[in-house]
Amino acid sequence: MLFTNKADKKGYIISVVLLSILGVIWVLPLLFMASLSLQLNDRLAVNLLGPLFGYIPYPFTIDNFIRTTRYDEVPRWFFNSLIVSTISTLLVLMISSLAGYAFARLKFYGNKLLYGFTLAGIMIPGEAVFIALYTLFADLGLHNTYISLIVPNLAAPIGTILMTQFFKSISIEIEEAAQIDGANRFEIYRFIMVPISIPAMTTLAIITFLWTWNSYLWPLVTTQEIDMFTITVGLASTQESYAEDVIGNLMSQGIISCIPVIAIFLIFQKYLLKGVVIQTK
Amino acid sequence: MKSLSLNHKSDNKFTSYLFIIPFLFFYFTLLVYPFLKSFWISFHEWNLLEVAFNPDAKEFTGIKNYVKTLWGRRLTWSISPIHIFICSFFLIDYYGFKKGWWRKSTFFIFLMIIIITFILFGIHPSERGKWFDKRFWNVLYNTAIFVCLSVPPITIISLYLAISLNYKNKLMGFFRTLFYLSSVVSVAVTTLVWTYMLSPQQGIIGHLYKIFGKEPLVWFTNPDLAMPSIVIATVWWVIGFPMIVFLAALQEIPSERIEAAKIDGANALNLIVFIIIPSIKRTFIFIVLYEIISQFQIFGQSQLMTSGGPGIETMTLVMYIYNTGFRDNEFGKAGALCVLLFLCMAFFSYAYMKISSSQDN
Repeated sequence: MLFTNKADKKGYIISVVLLSILGVIWVLPLLFMASLSLQLNDRLAVNLLGPLFGYIPYPFTIDNFIRTTRYDEVPRWFFNSLIVSTISTLLVLMISSLAGYAFARLKFYGNKLLYGFTLAGIMIPGEAVFIALYTLFADLGLHNTYISLIVPNLAAPIGTILMTQFFKSISIEIEEAAQIDGANRFEIYRFIMVPISIPAMTTLAIITFLWTWNSYLWPLVTTQEIDMFTITVGLASTQESYAEDVIGNLMSQGIISCIPVIAIFLIFQKYLLKGVVIQTK
Repeated sequence: MKSLSLNHKSDNKFTSYLFIIPFLFFYFTLLVYPFLKSFWISFHEWNLLEVAFNPDAKEFTGIKNYVKTLWGRRLTWSISPIHIFICSFFLIDYYGFKKGWWRKSTFFIFLMIIIITFILFGIHPSERGKWFDKRFWNVLYNTAIFVCLSVPPITIISLYLAISLNYKNKLMGFFRTLFYLSSVVSVAVTTLVWTYMLSPQQGIIGHLYKIFGKEPLVWFTNPDLAMPSIVIATVWWVIGFPMIVFLAALQEIPSERIEAAKIDGANALNLIVFIIIPSIKRTFIFIVLYEIISQFQIFGQSQLMTSGGPGIETMTLVMYIYNTGFRDNEFGKAGALCVLLFLCMAFFSYAYMKISSSQDN
């Protein structure tokens, strides 16, 4: 933007150089984690003090990963996170797109008012309800279950707001054509609106998946049994009781915990970045 | 034609409600109801363990939890650095009023909130006075300091990155991915990585100090460096979202405006201050509010990196709520703290909601 015209090569080169420096700083912590996870614990003590500060994984080994996945609770936590994030994402997609379609298109008593309520939900900070939510699930006896890990994710209004804004932006003629052909509301929703909204739903799915995978406070509060931890809570708990001599294992756990999110981000980043923009409009 | 679509013969009220009932059910039972229940809990003496064994063990005590949390003996008033920060709320309040995001009455309500906050932050115990709750105001102060220290660098660095990245080519796409990458990892990974990055023995910063023949800094146990270390980790972690939002806003600035300024001889700094920032003012305020709200709720970083220490130097509000509820089992007081957290953020949340739902640019 600043230097759009091609003639301004100098400005472009300066920004590339500065960005490269910053980029190295930004990626260094993740590289650090990756390379520590690929070295044996007893070699690490030496390598960390060596001239390369442990950044080059030599001698290279994947023993840490093998040990972590074989002996620790990590596979179980990973599986929990996978289940919780996947189911939450699917349910959020269903609920939000249904409600978004109704708010954007259907005329019913209380539409404006209920949408106003939904918008007002943005004002409730997620971190201000967890105490009351805890008592609610305690009364129902549902702590340490997948239900308590999944269901609170469905309450966030942001998905519905996103879908409402998306459906409002679609032209109305296509629905009218279907109506003349005799389709009812559910058919219109199922066979016309859902296929049209696949890009927006992909965005919402990624946002929800990343959010659920990374959420920390609620899973920490609701799970006391080590078997029900999500990978984020599990990693945090290992970290709190860490020993200096198993740093390689710890880092391999960190890597395992972010493989799915990084993979999803790299594959679908186009949608994620687009969705970030819809959120702010 | 529009009426045809809205009044279809198969549309009765029942059909429409079927679409929204699933969402409304979860929204009201799991967000609105717990939110209101926090108020109810806060008026009780409510011990987690006792209530778990006997549901009637809670006792209605009125506003006692609030008095115990907020009040103290022999209080005096003086200015603190936080006051400068509170003055900046006024700018947002006034700007929102000018833009028509809220009415004059709301403007005055906000003004009252700002004045009350301004006064509250200056109250502290004098010579032999004390707070009934020794921690609450310190914790709130820590949280405000954390917000003050983290929001400006987040905004400035992400704006800088967005301006530099605003070319459409492969290289810049790569940089964009790279700077966003740190935002997709969880808070546990962030703290894990930064605990070692900042460690005096193992971290690269410690090594650099040693190379230049100095003692490496001990970040987490030094009262002056504990909070900055959390700020560094947080800035690294959250930079992606504001960067992308700024990038999207920059692409909507008409290029003639920039070209005209360049012909007038504006340099890069002038362009940023006089052309770019005014053109993306709405986005700018959006990001500042978003970051204030989300950084105010910091929990994982301080819990996992410093456990609130040294002393209670880095204990933040949400962490204090967590400890009050789940270590001390005082749910009544934790509920009161949740309500206070909501009240602290009410101004920002309202402004944020208004700006999110306003469509103008």
